[in-house]
Amino acid sequence: MSGQQRPSSALQDFARNLRQAPRRFLETVFRHGPPRTDRTRSTFVFGNVFLHLHTARTHRWSLRWTTTLGLGLVSAAAFVITLVTGILLMFYYKPYPDAAYQSIKDIHFVVPTGQFMRNIHRWAANVMVVAVILHMARVFYTGAYRAPREFNWVIGMGLLVTTLGLSFTGYLLPWDQLAYWAITIGANIAQSPREITDALGITEWADVGGLQRQLLLGSDVVGEEALIRFYLLHVMLLPLLLAALLAVHFWRIRKDGGLARPAGADQRLGPPPGDTYPVFTEAPQKTYQLAAIVRGRTAAVGNGPENTLPSMPHLFYAELGVFMLTTLICLALSLWIDAPLKELANPNVPENPAKAPWYFLGLQECVSFSAFMGGVGIPLIVLVGLGLIPYLDREDKGTGEWFGGPGGWPLVRRAVLFGLGAAIGVEALAIRCGWLREWFPDIPQLVITFVNPGTILAALYAVFSLFEVRRRNSVRAGALALFTCFLCGFVVLTVIGTHFRGPNWDFFWSPADWPKH
Amino acid sequence: MNRNKGLLLLSSLGVLALLVAAAVQENILKSWRRIQGAAKTEAGPVEVRLRQIVVPGLKAADRCVSCHVGMAPGESGILGPRAVAAHPPLAHDPGEYGCTACHGGQGRATEEADAHGAAAFWPEPMIPLRYAYAGCGTCHTHVRVPSQSALERGRNVFEQLDCLACHKLDGRGGTLRPWGVGGMEGPDLSRAGAAGGGVGWYERHLEKSQEATDGVWKTCFGAIEESARADLAVFLASRVGAPGLVEAKALFHTLGCRGCHKVNGVGGDDGPDLTRAGARDPGRTDFTHVPGEPALPNWFAEHFRDPAKIVPGSLMPVLGLTEEQIDGLTFYLLSLRQSGFPEAYWPKDRILADRFGEREFAADGATLYGTFCAACHGAEGQGMRYPGMPVFPAVANPDFLAVASDEFIAGAVERGRPGRRMPAWGEKEGGLRAEEVRSVVAHLRVLGGVSAAEPDPQPPRWAEGDAQVGERLFGAYCAGCHGATGQGAESPALNNHVLLSTASDTYLARTIARGRRGTSMEGYGDASTVHPALSAEETEALVRFIRTWEKAQ
Repeated sequence: MSGQQRPSSALQDFARNLRQAPRRFLETVFRHGPPRTDRTRSTFVFGNVFLHLHTARTHRWSLRWTTTLGLGLVSAAAFVITLVTGILLMFYYKPYPDAAYQSIKDIHFVVPTGQFMRNIHRWAANVMVVAVILHMARVFYTGAYRAPREFNWVIGMGLLVTTLGLSFTGYLLPWDQLAYWAITIGANIAQSPREITDALGITEWADVGGLQRQLLLGSDVVGEEALIRFYLLHVMLLPLLLAALLAVHFWRIRKDGGLARPAGADQRLGPPPGDTYPVFTEAPQKTYQLAAIVRGRTAAVGNGPENTLPSMPHLFYAELGVFMLTTLICLALSLWIDAPLKELANPNVPENPAKAPWYFLGLQECVSFSAFMGGVGIPLIVLVGLGLIPYLDREDKGTGEWFGGPGGWPLVRRAVLFGLGAAIGVEALAIRCGWLREWFPDIPQLVITFVNPGTILAALYAVFSLFEVRRRNSVRAGALALFTCFLCGFVVLTVIGTHFRGPNWDFFWSPADWPKH
Repeated sequence: MNRNKGLLLLSSLGVLALLVAAAVQENILKSWRRIQGAAKTEAGPVEVRLRQIVVPGLKAADRCVSCHVGMAPGESGILGPRAVAAHPPLAHDPGEYGCTACHGGQGRATEEADAHGAAAFWPEPMIPLRYAYAGCGTCHTHVRVPSQSALERGRNVFEQLDCLACHKLDGRGGTLRPWGVGGMEGPDLSRAGAAGGGVGWYERHLEKSQEATDGVWKTCFGAIEESARADLAVFLASRVGAPGLVEAKALFHTLGCRGCHKVNGVGGDDGPDLTRAGARDPGRTDFTHVPGEPALPNWFAEHFRDPAKIVPGSLMPVLGLTEEQIDGLTFYLLSLRQSGFPEAYWPKDRILADRFGEREFAADGATLYGTFCAACHGAEGQGMRYPGMPVFPAVANPDFLAVASDEFIAGAVERGRPGRRMPAWGEKEGGLRAEEVRSVVAHLRVLGGVSAAEPDPQPPRWAEGDAQVGERLFGAYCAGCHGATGQGAESPALNNHVLLSTASDTYLARTIARGRRGTSMEGYGDASTVHPALSAEETEALVRFIRTWEKAQ
């Protein structure tokens, strides 16, 4: 048998396969080789379950920093950061009154980097709220809610509400005085429809407010039921809802043809860099068929010269960059300022002033005039109004442009002045001279419910924007005016509620002037 | 793309730097690590790790021993910075009670400011070291605390008889060895009261002294008078291992604070309840008018100096206390910090007080008077006059005691003077018991030096006469001080229905005729520069007139 090539035995195969296993494992993980060519870069994106929410190629307009300022990504990044730190905190947190507080103390003092993690969680949550609001403003001002993106705007509204809900439910969990009384205030805001039902004398039969409060707290007072309810909402229901909405939100970006851009974007960008390989200028057969099935503007077929770049790495560098920047901001804030933790919650010692979380202080300011309007009326008007924007503004001038549309930046500037001026003026009047109750002590509450600084302000804004609609003969102009005004009103009321309101919700120039008792 | 790359690079480097900073802060800069690193035993450095005492029953997880390593149960011989030193000898095992139960502060914390409770939003800062024994008040309620003078007498006897030669007390004395050189010294008496007070000690001592032929027993002990022995017994019973605190409590019960303030349900209602005054949250205390550091001891001290300055509108008078008294009262108030610890942890004194109604003050008349009456009526019953308040009567005035029967005085104590500052001590919750009222009355007789009222052969009501004459006389001589309708002004109210129902006509007539020496009430039986002498008939008419208010009511 000598001289003959012996067939390799199974044993030898085994040894060879074992040697090659690490390399083959890596190959199977990255199935398409290193993403160096346009083709492998594309497969890198759509061959990955996490990345395939992106298109394989991204328009150069979308990559400009000024297009989005990365605000949506900041929101998403902040969510991921709260998710990770939140899961870490869940290892130590005990959702039961008193034990909750002690567990937060333990997280502070003995859990390795516990305080750091809690700080990050807290600040990332705040960053998220701010970023979500700014992101909404960006989408509005660039007219990016217009067809075909109307529904994604509505999803965005859902995300805003869910974000506020997440932040609010998390507020109670430390079970300290700050949390306890903020949630008490929040629950009272939920009960505010009672103002109307009381005035109409139907609370006995239709106690909507009481029911809302009961649903929120599971009891008449903020207690263990409320805590477990808030915990469940905070760690499970709302994050799941947010993740689901987020998935839809991202997916719709892709389905709606990427980010909104002005009609002349390609001309304004100029020719692509020389090293960019222009794909799909000639339509391949297969894509064409797909395009026939998939509605919308997905296929950039025949639109050449292509002004897109491979998402890998151009988009991903930008996204990772924003993610790391968000992380950096959260970490810096966390090292700099500790998350607040006051005394153990004590139902017998009310905080004065008891303030809701800061993003609700504008509402609390309205609540101080009329519980119903602040708690239900105005938020409802704002949410419905925001949701209706893309359905009322069906123009197309200015899409993708900052402050695009009739009126433009000068209009927005005027709206800022009017919005700030009206809010400060109405507040100054109410603070300086009191309101109807002080002037006519016997006035029916129902009158105050409908005539109070909050509603007056809303009415002023409405009149101003209707005036702009008429003047510019454009719904978009009115929307620009109204949105700007409400943003300004939100800022003014929030600042007043946060900084200028003291014990008994009295006005003080500075917290240093608060009486000590 | 390069801008995005740069953004990613810079922010990643920033994140990395901050993570390193956080890791350094967490693993190196923690002060307990530094302190433990400096501590060592004979065998070498101690292991650097987080240390804690967990007491589930008290819901305590006290990490104080992470810095104060030497105070942890079972640790000994640890050398290093002052913080790691061992705890001075103590009655309670820290392994069983933790640290914060006595000292206050935040047990869970691991940083000094947080742990010592100096940080914001921690309601129970540590009790300052000089008032450390105030921590006993978390669980203990010392009962039957004698008056300051009784304690003082006992201490004087203790010192005069030189008990400290053989016995230790609060770290002093105990140098003589009864069995000669190298023998044992007498037992430490610092906690003699807690141990039962050493029943029969005198007989045993005397026996030993008589048996001995020479040596310490022979030369250092002799017969002791009975009164001195009684004083000693009171003093020794008060030695419960809290030096200073019992004295401070005695002071509180000498100055009459309970006349206005309730503590553990006993006392007056005019001032705030002080049961948990020492557990007050400094974060919720108004320090606006308090000079110096915003700490509770400072607040108390400043408040004692001038109550209305610290609490605008306070009704508490300036008591004119000495600095020593202010310190003592501050000490006692800090000890009023009764916790909600489970009953299984209650000491016997608190059970006696809470469950069996044992008094926190001794039952003798002097202590009772000091506890309830002294603040208003004066330490000697001489009466008081605080600015802005009506005069408080001189209840130990001999002229008063000579005409007032025991029943009358007891009635005044028990039923008070409704509408005036004097509460009804016998009726109200937290007031005095019948035998205590009797002791107080007896003590007044001691203070005034009048052992009994003059006998009164007449029935309680005998006065007749013309009320209109009485009215005219009253308007002329009495209304200036007692008010036109006897409502009282500078002087006591005479239309008070409790006064009128308990006072006999003899009492009223004699008081009018003789007056009260040492007060502004003159005797009207004799003429003076401002009024003629009133005849017996005129006095009777006055009494008759005063009685008309009784009918009106």
